[in-house]
Amino acid sequence: MLTPLQPSRVRRAARWADVRHRGLGMIAYVLNRITGIGLVVYLYLHLAVLSLLAGGPGAWDPFITLARSPLFLVLDVILIAGWLINGLNGVRVTLTGFGVGVGSQKAMFVGLMVVAIAGLIVMALMVFGG
Amino acid sequence: MLDIPLKVFRYKTGQAPGYDVFRVQVAETANVLDAIEAAWAQHDRTLTFRHACHHASCGSCAMRINGVERLPCITPVRDVYRGQGELLIEPLRNFPIVSDLVVDVSGFFRRMSASSLVITRTAETTLPLTADAPGDGLATQPVQIAEGLARFNRFENCVECGICISACPTMATSDKFLGPAALAGIYRARLECDDPAEKARLLELADGEHGVWRCHSGWECSAACPQNVNPAEAIMALRRDLIWHRFKKLFGR
Repeated sequence: MLTPLQPSRVRRAARWADVRHRGLGMIAYVLNRITGIGLVVYLYLHLAVLSLLAGGPGAWDPFITLARSPLFLVLDVILIAGWLINGLNGVRVTLTGFGVGVGSQKAMFVGLMVVAIAGLIVMALMVFGG
Repeated sequence: MLDIPLKVFRYKTGQAPGYDVFRVQVAETANVLDAIEAAWAQHDRTLTFRHACHHASCGSCAMRINGVERLPCITPVRDVYRGQGELLIEPLRNFPIVSDLVVDVSGFFRRMSASSLVITRTAETTLPLTADAPGDGLATQPVQIAEGLARFNRFENCVECGICISACPTMATSDKFLGPAALAGIYRARLECDDPAEKARLLELADGEHGVWRCHSGWECSAACPQNVNPAEAIMALRRDLIWHRFKKLFGR
């Protein structure tokens, strides 16, 4: 009696992030997942931080001091990077899903990521300069 | 002659999966399937792998070579082995492994038949068909196919090798997803169908959570396909048709 070998669900799910030997489409796919999960985590962190407001100035003001520290500003830039990559890549996925630009999805990804990097540089300068 | 260490995935029922290394000698012009057959012939007759045509027509030998899905029957050893390390041979992903390099493709074929495929290979139907002429057996004569019959040829650009299923990251998490090959089949079947009711049925088949909407645009199916079927483009075209269909329904057309 043959018993087929089935990898565990965790092992199979891990292939979502396996970009070895894969093309640009897969890199875009993984980037969208990583940034998407990051943005969801940020959303809950954001809500948790906002809940500090309920504690009045005594709870809020120390957080604002912390938020202006260089470490926090770096986290802000990472957040902006995630937002830009996910948003712009999302535009590409939406367009191709409507049948637009299907043949040039790789070029679209490269172009949009150039826009994302340019935007990130500008916004990073604003974060650290402002 | 090429001297190659083949690192081959092994699995037998009741045993832990692992790898065996076989050193084989093959001709400079050998394909990877020749090297695997040499390992079987020279080292281990219990090594199991699937193959038939040796020229990319049947798709049965599909496997992963150095981590990449390929048809070993048309992959020259020299293209994938540079003389260092081992040549890694593994079964396709996203299929249950039956034995060594043999995977269970029954689920894949069930999904393919669900799409009621009738696909004509354009590359072959545009060629003049010939057959041996009576007489010396060397000359050929043109074959006339009755009008309307050519479209029922079961020759396909898709050789149903399962490579797209192995390359697809979405298939890794869902066995219910129709998958790139079946969806590409549905698209082609729609293109070649004149019956509005059948076209609508095929579109409905591609709809739903396990149809085109399950695809998350990894594009790996098209990148890996050895026959340039481009399933991702077919999936996107089906989505476009579905969106257009719903849009028209919204306005009562």
